[in-house]
Amino acid sequence: MPPTYTNIISLSSKGVRPKGLIIMAQKQQQFDYDIIVIGSGAGGSIAATLAAKDGKRVAIIEANTFGGESPNWGDVPTKALLHAASLYDEAKKGMRFGIRSSMLGYNYPSLLAWKDLAVKRTGAGGNRHYYEKQGISAYHGIAHFLSPHEISVSRRHLSAAKFLIATGSHWDIPGIIGLDKLKYYTPKTILSLNKPPKSLFIIGGSTRAVELAQLFATFGTKVFIADIHDRILSSEDEEVGTLIAKLLSEQKGVTVLTGTRILSTTKDGIMKRVSYLRGGVEKSIKVDDILLAGERVPTVDIGLENAGVDYSAKGVEASNTLQTTQRHIFAAGDVLGGQSYTHSAMLEGRIAAHNMLRRTPIEPDYTATPRVTFLSPEVASVGLNEEDCLRRDLAIVKSMVPLSIVGRANVSDCSDGFVKLIANKKGQLLGGTIVAPHAGEMIHEIGLAIKYGLTAKELSELPHAFLSWSEAVRAAAAKLG
Amino acid sequence: MSLFGQRTVIDIVKAGGTRPSEEFNADKLHSSIVAACLAVRTPEGQAEAIARDVCTATMAWCSTKPEVTSSDLRRIASRTLQTHHPDAAYLYKHHKLIV
Repeated sequence: MPPTYTNIISLSSKGVRPKGLIIMAQKQQQFDYDIIVIGSGAGGSIAATLAAKDGKRVAIIEANTFGGESPNWGDVPTKALLHAASLYDEAKKGMRFGIRSSMLGYNYPSLLAWKDLAVKRTGAGGNRHYYEKQGISAYHGIAHFLSPHEISVSRRHLSAAKFLIATGSHWDIPGIIGLDKLKYYTPKTILSLNKPPKSLFIIGGSTRAVELAQLFATFGTKVFIADIHDRILSSEDEEVGTLIAKLLSEQKGVTVLTGTRILSTTKDGIMKRVSYLRGGVEKSIKVDDILLAGERVPTVDIGLENAGVDYSAKGVEASNTLQTTQRHIFAAGDVLGGQSYTHSAMLEGRIAAHNMLRRTPIEPDYTATPRVTFLSPEVASVGLNEEDCLRRDLAIVKSMVPLSIVGRANVSDCSDGFVKLIANKKGQLLGGTIVAPHAGEMIHEIGLAIKYGLTAKELSELPHAFLSWSEAVRAAAAKLG
Repeated sequence: MSLFGQRTVIDIVKAGGTRPSEEFNADKLHSSIVAACLAVRTPEGQAEAIARDVCTATMAWCSTKPEVTSSDLRRIASRTLQTHHPDAAYLYKHHKLIV
């Protein structure tokens, strides 16, 4: 909305002219908005809402669907399908509990309808009115900086005193020979397939890649998953990747190709042929579809040079207070190139909003940010892992207990998993990893302990309910204490 | 008709914002690349071929953006030109300082 001159006119008509106030008003009128937020994902959305609540004139710009990646194509639809897949998988194994499930089947279009309902119910996906109701101007289009204070959105020029860059990230398309000549999927597009492919080759062993491998394998797809690292889920502790690879191959028939370099992709009739190098031997596999789920790269192609903001392929350069090389431009979320989690983006959005609105800057605290991979069993970790400790040259003690030692493993007939805790020599907890059903819920008590400097002994002294999976956390802590 | 069969209209915001925006003209970009290549004694045929590649790459970058600045265009064009002919790219990038 263009600024008005009402306040100046009303003041001057009364003959009262507080000089400072008029200068302030004139300064404000130089820009269309106080704050423009580029990107309506987890980071941008929360910052725009906080700024609007603070009485600022705010605009939010979205190039794609309002709400961003997580509710539309990322976390929400994937987890909705994974939940259905987990129910299907559990029911199939029901015979051991006396449940007849030989006639069990699924209807994939209905599963997709469930996924769409879950996306719709989050309220974030495509919800432009949410912003407009709060007095935030919502624009649809690709934002491009024209100058440090001006952007272009669908040929409309908008100016603001401050900006927040929250453009997020997108799936990287690796430069594999022949990839440009055939159809491939990314985690963003594969969930729109109207039936699971007969065979699928997944390039990359990231969290999302492994989740999708399990999802499609549950619905009968022959899955190959290839990663250049020596294990899948390479950002987690070694035991995690090894156990998950074992479970995927033994229970779901997934072929896990670690230490594999993809050489080329070619069309082979109606199928695709993927050639790869593993252990010095070149091999090829014929598959129906290819999924690229390697890594995500920050979306920085928004004319940052015109704004004078420094960036690299790894992301926008920002200080600890999320301020970029231009004092009036802040950044939050995946565009910073750090942790690629929705909850981290939300934290950064809140911090960036505070720093744009207040005089005293604050910094985000990532100490106890949980990382969860929604498999069955789930994988969750928090704080430092063993490799982080080695890199920092920290003297540590660790304990690991298998899930089989707790009563719940007996009554649920599930013993695949473990709890691993890392502490310093004083017993103070530094990190933890859980592979267990509901690990995503269990990890937060370890997070709390790490954040507030609790020792393993203190954690073990807390009574944990009998027959809960959390008993394994207490057991691991007791082993350290 | 443009050499490149350009269909979508892309507006170029001129540097400094003092002059009005103008429509992107692929032929104009093509000519400037050819001129830069010829200035560093590139054979005419090669200069034309390089300019065609640079224009195609620049237009691909522009395709999702309805409005870009003239410095964006210069940056993207010189980035592609750099891979084909580093000397011509240097000249193209710094022609105001050199001329």
